[in-house]
Amino acid sequence: MQNTYKYGFHKPENYVYKSKKGLDRGVVEYISKRKNEPLWMQQFRIRALGQFYHKPLPLWGGDLGGINFDNIFYYISPTDKIVSRWEDLPEDIRDTYDRIGIPEAEKKFLSGVSAQYDSEVVYKSIKSMLSKKGVVFLDMDSGLREFPEIVKQYFGTVIPSGDNKFAALNSSVWSGGSFVYVPKGVRVDLPLQAYFRINAANMGQFERTLIIAEEGSFVSYVEGCTAPIYTTDSLHSAVVEIIVKKGARVRYTTIQNWSTNVYNLVTKRARVEEEGVMEWVDGNIGSRLSMKYPSVYLVGRKARGEMLSIAYAGAGQHQDVGAKAVHLAPETTSQIISKSISRGGGRTSYRGLVQIMMGATKSKSKVVCDALILDEASRSDTYPTMDIDEQDVSIEHEATVSKIGDEQLFYLLSRGIGKAQAESMIVNGFIEPIVKELPLEYAVELNRLIQLQMEGSVG
Amino acid sequence: MKKISGTPLLKVRNLFASVEGKEVLKGISLDVEAGAVHVIMGPNGSGKSTLAYALMGHPHYEVKSHLSKVKSSIEIGNTDVLNLPTEERARAGLYLAIQSPIAIPGVSVMQLLRTAYQLLHIEQSQKINETPNIQNPVLVRRWQANGMGLTEFVRRVKQFAGQLRLDESFLSRSVHDGFSGGEKKKVEMLQALVLAPKIAIFDEIDTGLDVDALRVVGKGIDVLRRQKTGVIIITHYNRILRYVTPDVVHVLVGGKIVDTGAAALAGKIEKEGYAKYL
Repeated sequence: MQNTYKYGFHKPENYVYKSKKGLDRGVVEYISKRKNEPLWMQQFRIRALGQFYHKPLPLWGGDLGGINFDNIFYYISPTDKIVSRWEDLPEDIRDTYDRIGIPEAEKKFLSGVSAQYDSEVVYKSIKSMLSKKGVVFLDMDSGLREFPEIVKQYFGTVIPSGDNKFAALNSSVWSGGSFVYVPKGVRVDLPLQAYFRINAANMGQFERTLIIAEEGSFVSYVEGCTAPIYTTDSLHSAVVEIIVKKGARVRYTTIQNWSTNVYNLVTKRARVEEEGVMEWVDGNIGSRLSMKYPSVYLVGRKARGEMLSIAYAGAGQHQDVGAKAVHLAPETTSQIISKSISRGGGRTSYRGLVQIMMGATKSKSKVVCDALILDEASRSDTYPTMDIDEQDVSIEHEATVSKIGDEQLFYLLSRGIGKAQAESMIVNGFIEPIVKELPLEYAVELNRLIQLQMEGSVG
Repeated sequence: MKKISGTPLLKVRNLFASVEGKEVLKGISLDVEAGAVHVIMGPNGSGKSTLAYALMGHPHYEVKSHLSKVKSSIEIGNTDVLNLPTEERARAGLYLAIQSPIAIPGVSVMQLLRTAYQLLHIEQSQKINETPNIQNPVLVRRWQANGMGLTEFVRRVKQFAGQLRLDESFLSRSVHDGFSGGEKKKVEMLQALVLAPKIAIFDEIDTGLDVDALRVVGKGIDVLRRQKTGVIIITHYNRILRYVTPDVVHVLVGGKIVDTGAAALAGKIEKEGYAKYL
């Protein structure tokens, strides 16, 4: 099966600065110095580097043996300054964005774009509406410069640098990502969107995102990415921290379509206070291996977490994804809905944790995971963990594994629909409950991607 | 027997079919003309459903004769579809209403109709020079087939749904997902009306229907007849025949058509059963 990656073009590399390959204290200090960071951040990075060295690779999940940490650039800066106008972008970068259709998308929907090209954000436009409401939407580097107190107060509090090996790596070399601050009671009606793209061989992407939603506020953040194919493996290891204050609601949507040589190892976690709501919507289509388990820590009474995820694994792909819900307060609720599709020898794994701590009485959790396997060569596994320390709780867990039924296929064929299209209709139908939660253009793109995957791999 | 004029739309010659090595159909020949209604009756296990599925090209049925010298064919119009895959048979003009259709979650009835109609009427659709397999909700606005835009198409679908007393809300629901027996039959009938095939086969369309639903289905068959679709009704109970008067009745026993006659034959069988054929 030939799996040609649709966005597999890449532009000549044109970078102002490229650090040497490999990681040591010198590289970390250089990154921090170049960014003119405060001392505390430099110390944070150096401490994290030690934790990275110290932590073992996880023994569970996917095969991480193909990562050579010495063969990665940990920092690249494509342009010296951040631009806010489309016309000011270098031509080859604009060309890249044109090919993935970003300007059209912006015209219609975007309330602000922060597009990451390699390690630094090079293009952003923020509508006046956001600033009028006091909403901050910046790249993380600018966020640290302009709001050092807020960043210092929250940075690394939801995901400590020593949480796991890849969180430690990100903490020591992070660059780019988004910083979002929504003041008390403010609703941001249009989703904030960030696009980014890897374009340097062997380059790691270590973006860092911090979202703070103050009491009673609402924000929806959307990220999506495509990446070109390279002959050597590429590492993407992001950290996303979200703080949902009392009564606030945050929705974070990701569509990940890395090319199939990328290791996508991401730590995403939200702390949700009283009556707050956190929603993770997570689509994993690309990458060689993804290990990603968006989490909610429900720390306040009646806090709520919802995780919707879709994973697609084709030839040579392993999607080891899932969700975690940790209930630390009474009357907290969580819902995890996971749908996965494997075909052409691809492998999907659902890995989830529901933990209800002592005292989190009257908490509720519901987990539904459905897997669709399209052929004999493909595989799907479920690894659910329930850790319940409280009596008065309600827990539901449902799991189904199905194959595309011959009868479903015959039915559509008998209506004149060809095999590839029939399969893509069945698959798109299967993920429809999640797709309908996505912003329109993402829903369209996801359906198209599934369709391309189906049609490109038949025969 | 009532005389039906015109060249047959469907010509079946010497059709054999085996399931898991067991021969079920033993040389079926059948002609169905435009606008004619044929009924195929027979006791359980006589091969009625096998005939429907073999005509549609279901992969479980092997259509090779054990007698190698016999040449089989299934002609629709002037195309022999015997060796064509199911979707090509559909595109040649064959439609099968399935007895117990399976649900397809997340695919709405309207989406199915829209997609199938465009593929089945592809010659007329081609002028828009667009791939017919549009699932993209934005591009769907450009949907066009047979000189019709989407608005006109939807209007027609709703009109047919109304005739079948099928609530419009079913059009946006997933195909057969949670539908009752009667609703399934109506949705199968709706597809036949909208897709306007040359030949429509109804496999046990009358099982599990109440009198109202039977009447509605009977009306649907009348509409098809007026549209010049050739209709094959496969039935065990022949209850539908109170609402449709067939042009031709065939009796299928042991994988062979053992008797053919006018509508009166059905009445005779209802009284006397199949004993004399066994």
